[in-house]
Order: sequence, then C-alpha cells, then structure tokens
Amino acid sequence: MTPRRITGGCQCGAVRYRVDGALTFAHICHCRMCQKASGNYFMALANVQKSEFVVTRGEIAWFRSSEPVRRGFCRDCGTPLIFETMAMKHLNVTLGSLDDPVAVRPELQFGLEARMPWFSALDHLPGAATDDDPDGDGVRIAEVRATNRQHPDHDTETWP
Amino acid sequence: MNARSWSGGCQCGAVRFRAHSLGHAGFCHCRMCQKAFGSPGAALISVPVGDLEWTRGTPAEFRSSPIVARGFCERCGTPLYMLEDDYPVYDMAMGAFDAAADLPPPDHVVGVESKLPWFDYLHALPARTTAQDRAPEDLVRLRSLQHPDHDTEDSYPEGSDDGE
Repeated sequence: MTPRRITGGCQCGAVRYRVDGALTFAHICHCRMCQKASGNYFMALANVQKSEFVVTRGEIAWFRSSEPVRRGFCRDCGTPLIFETMAMKHLNVTLGSLDDPVAVRPELQFGLEARMPWFSALDHLPGAATDDDPDGDGVRIAEVRATNRQHPDHDTETWP
Repeated sequence: MNARSWSGGCQCGAVRFRAHSLGHAGFCHCRMCQKAFGSPGAALISVPVGDLEWTRGTPAEFRSSPIVARGFCERCGTPLYMLEDDYPVYDMAMGAFDAAADLPPPDHVVGVESKLPWFDYLHALPARTTAQDRAPEDLVRLRSLQHPDHDTEDSYPEGSDDGE
C-alpha cells in the first residue's frame, strides 16, 4: 500500500509544499510566542526533516522571531506554515496547513506555562456546524461554499 | 462608564490595535479557519468595527471568499481578524491580544463539521512547560525579537525579519 503523499499549503494557495518523509513528534505548543505568532491560543506542529521538505509552489516568507528561530508564512494570505530552529536538521510544519490534518494526531503539549486555564473546557462548549448558521438564513454560507478562494486540499496544476 | 480597552498586535509589532469593547468569544473549527490559521481551529472574539482602533501599521488582507476578508501582518504573518462585508464586526484573533489570558473565554464553538477527531484529547496529552524543555540560555535567546505584550513608543524595529 502506498501511503498518501503528504502535502499542504497556505489558505490562498500561493505557497504549496510536500513532505517526502514522515511527520513525527506531532504536538501542540501553548507558549506565548506560538500564541502571538498564530493569533491563536496554541500552535499545532509536527517535525519534518529539512531534506524531506519541498516547497512545490511559491516562496515562504520569514519572520525571525528570535535569534535561533524563524517562522515561515505566506506573504499573500498570512497563513502560518513553519517553525524552524535554524541550526536543527528538522523543521516544524503547522498541522492546520496540511491538506489532511485529520491524519496527524498530536501526542504532546508544550508551553504549559501559557496554557489557557479554560483550555480543556473547549471540548464541552455548545457548538454548531457551519451549515446551522445561527445568525442567518444560510444564503451567505452557501455563497461562501460555492465561491471561496481557499485553495483546495490537494495539489493543483494552476491556481487560481 | 467603562474606559477599559484591550491592546494587541502581531508577533513582530508592525501592526498594533486597541479594542474599546469586546463581544462574545468562540472557537471555530471550520476548514477555512483551520487553513487560514494553520491550526486545528481559531479562537475569535467579536469587536464592533467602530470600537477597533488600528494604532500602528495597517493589516494586509486576503479575501478568502467574495464576502469575507482576513487580515494579517505581511511582515510576520500573524492572522489578526476575519471580517464579513456588510457586517461591521471584527472576529479578532484572540491570541493576538496582549492580555490574551484575560479575555473572556470562548462560550461557544462553531464549524464543528470540520472538528478534528482528536481535538478533544489535546488537553489530556502529556504536557511540559517551556522552561522544562529548554535550557535557560536558550530561553533568553528565544524571547528576543517578539514585540512585547504592551504598546511601545518606538516604531517597528527595522531589520528584525530574516531576508532568507
């Protein structure tokens, strides 16, 4: 059986990448730097050997968030893509940028000192599917679904 | 009278904002927020457009659909908001606030059709602090270039992004 090729990219599709090896050490990081870099409460990441990571479209933009670390993102849409300690032989890809994020399940948590006290409560909040559209009549959601500019969750010959 | 306001910005500090009111907070699992944030989902809090002041720089926008704009910093990539046309309320990225831990916690979740099957297990995973995981000298170096979690007088420090 041939495993599904691991691919991913940013929301707009200007940057696409491929992983030729395995994703390992999947984890989430709550640290304040990962929070602010992602505008979120944690980042979800997995290790990839640099020799097995290939950018297949576009170019990753970088912010040097500290002396040893740079963070890669898409200059056109902002999607956080990479956390890289430059001296290491591996880098981290963001799990949400994978085309198939379901396949990679985090195993560890880091940055516990900055974890939101209510983090575990997220599991139990009342929820709605996007289609439920509690605030509207569903027209906008149908329109977004039919016309959105998010790159599909697979490689494409040309885009957009 | 409530003069409280909440400052925030991107990681590098090129874009800074101040919210003069806060609405409901929620967590969105939808595939569009996942990909925009590179994450299993996005923690968002609503702020009326009239109550959101951009105090430094200007966010870049990607129109993820014809009726939705997503704002981010083009210097460091931090996702900052989602804004629907004709609906003057920002969904602000909660992690971008300086006092992120002081914001009201999410009280609902949306986009559950895309919720990752392992999401509910995340909080129970083995966990370590950054200090347990990094040598003290590493911690000093690792903190050096992120904008502090408060407004600063100086303008955006030039030359702190890597040209590679």
